[in-house]
Amino acid sequence: MLLAYIDPGLGSLLWQGIISVFIGFLFYLKKTRRMIVNFFRKTFRSPPRDGGPAAPAPLVKNAAAKPDAR
Amino acid sequence: MFRVVAPGALAEFTDFFQTAAARQFIAGRKLVTARPLAESEIAPLRAAPGLQSLRAALNPGAVFEHERIPFAGYPQDWPPEMLWAAGRLTLDLARAALADGFGLKDATPHNILFRGPEPVFVDALSFERRAPGDPIWKPYAQFLRTFLLPLLANRRWGLTMAEIFTTRRDGLQPEELYRWCGPLEKFRPRTLSLVSIPTWLSRQADPDDPKIYQPRLLADPEQARFILESLFNRLERQLRSLRPAAEKNSTWSDYMATHSYDDPAFAAKEKFVAGALAEFQPARVLDAGANTGHFSALAAQSGAAVVAVDLDAACVGKIWQRARAQRLNILPLAVDLARPAPALGWCNREQSSFLDRATGAFDGVLMLALIHHLLVTERIALAEILRLAAELTRGVLVIEWIEPGDAMFRRLTRGRDGLHAGLDAAAFERACAAHFEIVRSAALPGTQRRMYCLRRKGGG
Repeated sequence: MLLAYIDPGLGSLLWQGIISVFIGFLFYLKKTRRMIVNFFRKTFRSPPRDGGPAAPAPLVKNAAAKPDAR
Repeated sequence: MFRVVAPGALAEFTDFFQTAAARQFIAGRKLVTARPLAESEIAPLRAAPGLQSLRAALNPGAVFEHERIPFAGYPQDWPPEMLWAAGRLTLDLARAALADGFGLKDATPHNILFRGPEPVFVDALSFERRAPGDPIWKPYAQFLRTFLLPLLANRRWGLTMAEIFTTRRDGLQPEELYRWCGPLEKFRPRTLSLVSIPTWLSRQADPDDPKIYQPRLLADPEQARFILESLFNRLERQLRSLRPAAEKNSTWSDYMATHSYDDPAFAAKEKFVAGALAEFQPARVLDAGANTGHFSALAAQSGAAVVAVDLDAACVGKIWQRARAQRLNILPLAVDLARPAPALGWCNREQSSFLDRATGAFDGVLMLALIHHLLVTERIALAEILRLAAELTRGVLVIEWIEPGDAMFRRLTRGRDGLHAGLDAAAFERACAAHFEIVRSAALPGTQRRMYCLRRKGGG
């Protein structure tokens, strides 16, 4: 029988909060970077030779290189 | 091993066991199984006298049986290597559960036992469904106190897990380590993040401000998950940097290279032990004074589940590394047989003492090159040593008798030879007769040592 409970700490909890704010900011930087990359991919993709609709630009890096899962 | 789950926690408990994370870790034998009991299995529990207070809760679907871990070793018994492995498993589980929408609500080594050298997470009620927008891992501070800071204290000041966890259930506080650090050390990168900054922040903040502890949910669940995953990655990097060194040495860790046996004597000792193991085939063996585990490995290779104990945590760490690398069924524990781990916790009932756990738990006990340390260094009477051995084994005891004239014996007595003047093999055999019958004995050539294979009287 172990009577477990958690002391959330004080300094460590605040430090985690500060780290989380920093990482949260990184998340938005990463998201913004992805949006910019996708924008330029869509804008500067080469049109198909037969004049038909272009294939959608991959949202994920190297996604086009992945083999068809069928 | 049964667990009764309260109605309020039941859905969360059963849902967690349906997740991919739980299935993956159960398949890998890293998470304990939980089998719901049928009504026919619960009925006898309701009638059990010790379970009357739980009678109303003993309902189908609420009672689970966990697999039994053969021998409980607690954090105070572990070498730092095992704490490190337990921390790694805790982080792996927290990360895997996150992907399934669950969170680990406490992060303490008390959630973990070892099956042989492998950690197993046993507190299955530690998982809860997490709020998708919550970017805070509540047990972050507990993970620091019970894993990272003890590993840091072990590395920096040589504190053993017994020294830390025997007196502190919840590990070390950053403020405690801060006081131990010198002025420059407080600014070293690892200390800064784990010790100094948390200490400075706790001094600045008002501990009575309830806002500090209020949950703050983010609007974007993807962002919250990104933050937690990054936090786990960061903790894993910190844990990796505190991994105990593989080649850590102590007074006893080089014993196999420096012991006083020549090759024929050691071969004879090995043959004697192997013969006893083959004859009695003990399923569970305690190797007391295991050193770096040479004979523990021999017992494990013969098919026994071995608990190897030694007072030297560096030796025990080496046994753990070897057992893990060679997949040997050895649970190594840092236990001093002369001062074994006491019962701990509230009313001394949270964790039982080492001797309570070990008494009668083994079919065979090895006590090799140990008796002179107990007789001389610890001043334990021969009759007492044999009484303890008879309590530990249900069957066979393989013990090495060392004459007081032996070089190692004399090194320990340091001139006090008169204290053990009456002790010889005949006196040893007379003392054994109180609890054991002698199956066979053999002198080790070129030494003043003799091997004995003893069968416990009234045992198997």
